[in-house]
Amino acid sequence: MITLLERAPIEIKTWFLNLLGSFGVPEWILAVLSAGIIIGTIIGVFLGLFALMSVMERKILARAQNRYGPNRVGPFGLFQPVADGIKMITKEDLVPRTADKIVHFLAPVTMMIPALMVLAILPYGRDMVPAELDSGILYFFAVGAGTEVAVFMAGWSSNNKYSVLGAMRAIAQMISYELPLVISAIVTAMIAGSLSPSAIVAAQGGFALGFVPQWFALTPWGFAAGLIFYIGALAESNRSPFDLPEGESELVAGHLTEYSGFKYATFFMAEYVGMFAVCGLFVTLFLGGWQAPLPFLEIIPSWCWFIGKICFVAFTMVWVRATLPRLRIDHMLGFAWKFLLPMSFAAFLSAACWHYAGRGPLAWLLSLAIVGIPYLILGTSFTKRFAVSRRTYRFSE
Amino acid sequence: MMCEFLKTCCTDPMKIIGEWLVLLPAIVLLLAAAASVVMRNLIHAALCLTLSFIALGIVFIALGAEFVGFVQLLVYVGAVAMILVFAILLTRPEQLTKSGTLFSGLGPAGGALAGFASLVVLLAFIFTSPVAKKPLPAPVSAPVAAIGEALMGDYVVALLLIGVLLTAALVGAAVLAMEDKKP
Repeated sequence: MITLLERAPIEIKTWFLNLLGSFGVPEWILAVLSAGIIIGTIIGVFLGLFALMSVMERKILARAQNRYGPNRVGPFGLFQPVADGIKMITKEDLVPRTADKIVHFLAPVTMMIPALMVLAILPYGRDMVPAELDSGILYFFAVGAGTEVAVFMAGWSSNNKYSVLGAMRAIAQMISYELPLVISAIVTAMIAGSLSPSAIVAAQGGFALGFVPQWFALTPWGFAAGLIFYIGALAESNRSPFDLPEGESELVAGHLTEYSGFKYATFFMAEYVGMFAVCGLFVTLFLGGWQAPLPFLEIIPSWCWFIGKICFVAFTMVWVRATLPRLRIDHMLGFAWKFLLPMSFAAFLSAACWHYAGRGPLAWLLSLAIVGIPYLILGTSFTKRFAVSRRTYRFSE
Repeated sequence: MMCEFLKTCCTDPMKIIGEWLVLLPAIVLLLAAAASVVMRNLIHAALCLTLSFIALGIVFIALGAEFVGFVQLLVYVGAVAMILVFAILLTRPEQLTKSGTLFSGLGPAGGALAGFASLVVLLAFIFTSPVAKKPLPAPVSAPVAAIGEALMGDYVVALLLIGVLLTAALVGAAVLAMEDKKP
């Protein structure tokens, strides 16, 4: 029963293809169909998650701000995405007269392609990797680089100063945060000895003492690298507190200013799918991928765990958005270069020492020291400049 | 021969498509590279150059050099193209939005002559060099682990030297960009 549920998606696909095969459908059509089923399922699941997220995010934010949030359309406002979709499709598609029409049209498309392509390498469950690549992590970041081109195209082609400013900020932010993001991801690849996501998940399998999961996030270096990766992921997906490229109080909407109707919705969708993808990579690299957190919970199928963990990480991102104010551009870039980058190097060193000290209790202490001491030094020096002192007013009481 | 080709087309078109699909990114690469040279609008030229970077990465992947292809995409599309675009945006705003291509006046003739001359020189060097006479090595599909071991083993000195060079370049750039504190 358990294994049946576990293998259900694969078995259903094989059964369907065998059924078609028995009707004499040629082999190559089956091969195309097999790929098509996987692609369709993944896109369907993630667009469904996007629809769910778009309403849940507003609900959670509303809860954090002590109000109701959307509750008119359907039960608990759950059909809000349908209403949003109809609204987006029926809206007029405005293109500025001086815009670069072709590039303006191509930008949302270019944005969507990498967001969907990176989904190919995530291990969704036991033996459920759409594209088993030897260098999957590298593929993720290589394809993800296309997003920057799309943001630039959107910002420049709109022929609007807010758009260009927003795009410049977004690209500066993406390039700066890509470094700590990639280095903290490489740390896990170094310990697992492979760039393939499924090998990294496999390296986190098993339980210490029978119940403690051996996820990388539960080691000192993994905790540090995981936090860095999480912060980098927030910045890469332009989420609060790093949403200043489209800070509405200064830049209208950044590179999205001149987009309306379904092109705007495409950007929105690509941003959310990209966020889910990077959450999925975070889960794969640090939170054990599709593995259950406790031995007796393994009765729940692995793909449920994976989607559940993605939803949890996405929830924490909304939580962060409800909590933290937006950063200023120079603070944001300074934080990436002066704090996150050195810390990711520290995590790198720490992981190497952990490996060579035998991965035992001693190694644990050593790697904790290598991560902790730079954190204390950098952290105190970084916060000293922002020391809070009593504000004195010159002209009022 | 033709008959066999048609037969494969009917029974297993994916095979034919797979064989011919390798050519597609190469064609895109050539067209995009040519467009990036002749476009007068600098941003369009930069975007075409980015497209040619992407196509080159796909050519590498299609030829089996997966790792090189991904690194090409990561470095060239993610960093080099963006720095290029930044440089264009920060320097000459009046040049940006010219339309049309460069084919006007005497310039193209001179350009074509110079290009042809350098092509001849390059070809002459390529065909007379001793490397050309060596037989082609058999294609290997190296796993990432093997590439990593080669880099950290046999070629570790070169790797470290490049690291030092890049660090020096980074420090130099930071020093250049630093504000002059002296009055």
